[in-house]
Amino acid sequence: MRVEYINPFVEAAFDILKEVLGDDVQRGELYLKSTSKAVMGVAAFVGLAGNVEGRVLFDMSMETALAIASEMNGETLTTLDDLGKATITELANMITAQAVTKLHDLGFTFDLTPPAIFTGENMEITDNEVEALIVPVIVKQGKIEINVAVRERT
Amino acid sequence: MKTKMDFPSINERKPEGQGDGGQAYKVLIVDDSMFVKKQITQILSSEGFEVVGTAGDGLEGLEKYKELYPDVDFVTMDITMPKMDGISSLEKILEFDKDAKVIMVSALGKQDLVKKALLIGAKNYIVKPLDRVKVLERVLQSIK
Amino acid sequence: MNALEDKVESTVVEKIENVDYKMVTFSLAGKDYSIDIMKVREISKATHFTYVPNSLPYVKGVYNLRGDIISIIDLRTMFNLPSVKSEKDGSDGSDEIIILRLDDYLLGIIVDSIDKVVGISSRTIQPPHPIFGDINIKFIQGVVEKDSKLYIILDVESIFGQDAEDVEVTSVDFHQNEVFNENKPEQLNMGFISETLRTFSKFNVTDLNNKWVEKRFNEWKNLKGNSSKDLQLHSEADSEEFLSRFYSPDTGRFWSDDYRNLVYPFLNDIPGGSIRVWNPGCGKGYETYSIAALLSDKFKDSSIKIWANDKDLMSISNAPNLVVDKQTLPEYMDNYVIPVNNRFQFSKNIKDIILFEYHDITHPNTFPEVDIIIARDVLSFLGYSEQLRMINEFKEKLKADGILIIGRNEELPDNEWKRINGNNITVYKKIV
Repeated sequence: MRVEYINPFVEAAFDILKEVLGDDVQRGELYLKSTSKAVMGVAAFVGLAGNVEGRVLFDMSMETALAIASEMNGETLTTLDDLGKATITELANMITAQAVTKLHDLGFTFDLTPPAIFTGENMEITDNEVEALIVPVIVKQGKIEINVAVRERT
Repeated sequence: MKTKMDFPSINERKPEGQGDGGQAYKVLIVDDSMFVKKQITQILSSEGFEVVGTAGDGLEGLEKYKELYPDVDFVTMDITMPKMDGISSLEKILEFDKDAKVIMVSALGKQDLVKKALLIGAKNYIVKPLDRVKVLERVLQSIK
Repeated sequence: MNALEDKVESTVVEKIENVDYKMVTFSLAGKDYSIDIMKVREISKATHFTYVPNSLPYVKGVYNLRGDIISIIDLRTMFNLPSVKSEKDGSDGSDEIIILRLDDYLLGIIVDSIDKVVGISSRTIQPPHPIFGDINIKFIQGVVEKDSKLYIILDVESIFGQDAEDVEVTSVDFHQNEVFNENKPEQLNMGFISETLRTFSKFNVTDLNNKWVEKRFNEWKNLKGNSSKDLQLHSEADSEEFLSRFYSPDTGRFWSDDYRNLVYPFLNDIPGGSIRVWNPGCGKGYETYSIAALLSDKFKDSSIKIWANDKDLMSISNAPNLVVDKQTLPEYMDNYVIPVNNRFQFSKNIKDIILFEYHDITHPNTFPEVDIIIARDVLSFLGYSEQLRMINEFKEKLKADGILIIGRNEELPDNEWKRINGNNITVYKKIV
């Protein structure tokens, strides 16, 4: 992944999570991954378009998703209902949008598509021919893996 | 999102959402996220505003505005939505009612996007995550 | 104790013929332990684990080893041994870690301190006896005495429950170094050199660089004398010294004028117009900027694009914004830099033609076909099967007339690649 794209995603994740969930946001070490990936239980997707194509995937366990959605709504959710799902997708949307905004300031025109969310056990995301950057973030509610796969339109 | 301020007691101070006649300002909320609609509803109703309608995309937003008109004082408009995005919807609403007060609410904060929306005629632009204080401030700025 | 001393004596005498087992030694709660070097992938100093909640107490966390996520086990906790060092949870202090390869599974173990690689005769390994360890006997492969030290050899398979299984990947024209033919001490020594190069410097000996390693080993023998003990590489420093002759000219810095002149003639065959370059393993970017300047000088009216990538996040992150001092800057760069304070930054005309990417070359990529591939001293630091895969990838990505520049001391199979002559520079074209 192009070096210039990395920081905007890392910073956006950190800033938004800190603002929305309070303190205690820790960044794990970045790394690269290829091949299909087993999802932890809940996956929110935001598409990227423009001079690049790709997507950002937010991967977390159901427990973490419930805890985060509860915190963001100021009430305890016991199942990930429509409201819970909308909350997680909004989180994904905010992080991606802020990254896209930062990238724009750097001169890269990205656009994002409305987010989608998938839940289920034993789900696997298969990307053909794609390498992804993994940004692990650890919050009080658990771990979120932000998986960014983006490539230039050649 | 938890509100950070205590609700002011209604007896001590008039809620900002009510005009001089005691009548609540009416708002149409356009956003494809159930969570955001709930957030904005909570912030505005707690301050006395009345939510008269919601829509999940730009097209529905335009139609609802036309239906509600003239009993709608302002609109909060998301940008990234399916079917018709917020900027196009803004344009169309202004075509229909040149005095419409539309406030953009978006996670995208790109400078040129903000400028574009304001140039087309949006009254204000709020970047998410939403903060109760910021939302109320900007809304009141726009409707007065 | 005398019997033991006698035993040590005789071991010294026989040692030259019988060293057929090497182990990495370390200490744990004041005692000396060791592990068969064949099970050790590398050693590392880790400063930053990611703590994993709800895991077993001896699992200290996980560690990102250049993209592989491996569990880190604290052997002291696992074996209930007292911690000699002050309480560190591994996430601030730095711990010495031995990375084990079991089957195709990697695991890291924290130890008190890693000592060195020791060679012994496998005949001197004694079966485990309960008196020799603080840990369960089933985890001990044996014990051995060397230089008055008693080492407890850990059976890592039994500790971590894996079955040792060797998967050999061979291709007709490209081989890994063969190890451990007991009857050929020469081969044995080369085998040990290969293992230690891999452990300490992540350098893999294969047909790519075998010739050089053998040549260097002969030089090394003359340097170090003929005693088997001195020949072996006992530490990272030894390994680095051995490899110091391997690297291509101007590695890790701007190309000198001499090197530029070496490369220049090979560019004559490249059609102008649109030039595409792939520079994997570009590190901090000095090589990339050098080739960018050279191509811009030679092909003034062409559109040039260079894809430069590296797996080292720190190095590659700084590459687009590299700032250099006057002393480091060669004259040929003058047209491509702008002064900033007392130093120099690269100007837009050269930055625009380079795309620096954080990328693992063994992962799928989206680079187009290219005219030039510059991968100097990169392949030797990949595992054997990765080397094979990358060489194939180079073949696919290189245009018919394109050139591939690899390390000065590396070479490719001659049934697939045609070497173009040059001193101090290794250039190939593919045989279509």
